[in-house]
Amino acid sequence: MPAEGNSVGLQGAPLPAPPPSRIALPRGATIPIALAVFSLILIGIGEVLSPGYASAKNMLQLLKLSSFLGIIAVGQTLVILAGGIDLSVAWVLTAAAFAFTTVTQGHAALIVQGLLAALAVGAGVGLVNGVGVARLHISPIVMTLATNSIMQGGTLVVTSGSPLGVPDLVRLVATGSVGPLPIMTLLWAGVTAVVVIAVAMTSGGRKLLSVGENPRVSFLSGIDNDAVTIVAYTLSGLSAAVAGVLFAGFSATSFLGMGDQFVLPSIAAVVLGGTSILGGQGGYGGTVLGVIFITLLSTDLLMGNISPGLRNIIFGLALICAVLSHRVLLRGESE
Amino acid sequence: MRRTWLSRIRLEENWPVLTFAALFLLDVLLKGRFSRFDLQTLCVNVLPLLLISFGQFFVVLTRGIDLSLGPISSVAGACAALLLARDMATGFAVALLAGAAAGFCNGLLVVRFALPPIVVTLASMSVWQGVALLILPNPGGDIPPELPDLLNSDFGVPTALILLVLVWLAAAWVMSTRFGLHLRAIGDDEAAARMGGVAVQRVKLAAYVLAGAAAALGGVTLAIATSSGSPTVGDDYILLSVATVVLGGVPLVGGAGGALGVAMGALIVTIIGSLLYFANLSSFYQSIINGVILLAVVGSRSARQWLALQLGRLGHAG
Repeated sequence: MPAEGNSVGLQGAPLPAPPPSRIALPRGATIPIALAVFSLILIGIGEVLSPGYASAKNMLQLLKLSSFLGIIAVGQTLVILAGGIDLSVAWVLTAAAFAFTTVTQGHAALIVQGLLAALAVGAGVGLVNGVGVARLHISPIVMTLATNSIMQGGTLVVTSGSPLGVPDLVRLVATGSVGPLPIMTLLWAGVTAVVVIAVAMTSGGRKLLSVGENPRVSFLSGIDNDAVTIVAYTLSGLSAAVAGVLFAGFSATSFLGMGDQFVLPSIAAVVLGGTSILGGQGGYGGTVLGVIFITLLSTDLLMGNISPGLRNIIFGLALICAVLSHRVLLRGESE
Repeated sequence: MRRTWLSRIRLEENWPVLTFAALFLLDVLLKGRFSRFDLQTLCVNVLPLLLISFGQFFVVLTRGIDLSLGPISSVAGACAALLLARDMATGFAVALLAGAAAGFCNGLLVVRFALPPIVVTLASMSVWQGVALLILPNPGGDIPPELPDLLNSDFGVPTALILLVLVWLAAAWVMSTRFGLHLRAIGDDEAAARMGGVAVQRVKLAAYVLAGAAAALGGVTLAIATSSGSPTVGDDYILLSVATVVLGGVPLVGGAGGALGVAMGALIVTIIGSLLYFANLSSFYQSIINGVILLAVVGSRSARQWLALQLGRLGHAG
């Protein structure tokens, strides 16, 4: 039997499709190149719809818009690489933003305390998620769904939900620029560099990939699977919390439901970027391209004056097409 | 070994029933009554969730997940709200066909292209949300009044209760067929099922089609119960249906669980809502309590196992 599943089945009948990729597919440059090409096409469409879209200035603005999703997607990438998924980012983000604004009450002097409160919320929920998944063997979808639900109710009960102001300094970070470069873009670039290097080149990154690829093998080779999983979820909680504080700064207020718009795009960005939803393969570099692709697609759809319904349809179809093309590309690569 | 009365209850298998019984008792004690009207309200409220969750159940059994069932039910509800007033048969048929077709698309992408179900249905979720918005941009539409009247009617036994039992029996029947067996076999071990002669691809595809049709029925019921269609009404059910299935004792890794458990899961979710409403607690608490119960239900078993393991280790060390 050849190792590839897509040749001939047991009874000699052709197998219609390869099994979900547990086979070691070399993930080279095809997905990043394809995403970059798609993105260029989207930029072209944007320029046609609204001249000036492709200008460097506008591109930097779009990168700024992307950075919030980008920061959330850091945690989502790590968790998915470890073979899990984090549905709790929506209300962890909102809860952290509310923790921050409730503590600071708009005062610059209390920023550090506020930040600590927000990070504590993020790390706390992430830790609980990680322990539930790793130690109690609760399925990641159920675990993070439950904590999301609890954080949603908790935020509403504790804060009564009225929008709160944000210190000017945080607003400046989230909206300001250094020369032509938005601060958020610089921040995101820094985060990207750190995460890409950490995943690809450190022992921690290799452990993460190996837990996601095959937990049994990774356990037998002496890796503490539980610790790796718990760290991944904790980092995801932290990244959602950081994004929450910054997004509150961007919106000049924390408001209920501010995180809802990010959950599914964060998963979509990771998958678009070529990370296997089953874990073990991929990295944050691809996710960054996925985030940019999603931002370009949604701004194009907004500018095209397309009704919200049609926008949803096109977004979903584009996601399906992108994932299908990944499959074709990867099949080509592995042969 | 003599079996105690406690072991005869078979706690491990029957906790969805027991949890519901306990909550139901609490509900009756707190309200001090359980009139026929209460029964009818409970049944009407639980029906849409039950139908959508049975859809989710069939997919989860095959180790899949369907995040598009909520939006599919919105689409079906919108079709019903637009067409039922013109012609009942067309309205029901179009809604049901839309659901089955949507499920077919999901199934095809999962089976034919071997894409992960969560990714496929994430994308199709967005598509069906959009379709619902296109065909019914604003809540409304027209449901012929005799349908809500029928749903709320009472022939000695509330019609909704009869429907509830019929839906449960239908799901239990599906599970008792060869198809139901194959669904479980695939979730348990796909490779083994294939070797055992199960037409894995066809059965999986059928599971998604059935799920789409069940969600569509749920959407139509929802439209009838509220006398209107809404393009976003199904969004609440995207994750709620997953939670319901899990509460009903079905593991997300598939292969296990039964129709009775899922029905109990839907009843548990609905009765918690009614309890909170009665206790005059804001709906804020509903999401907290849903989350806590979900964790308690799935966590208790593994927590016990983990605890036993730790105690065992301590025993060895000492």
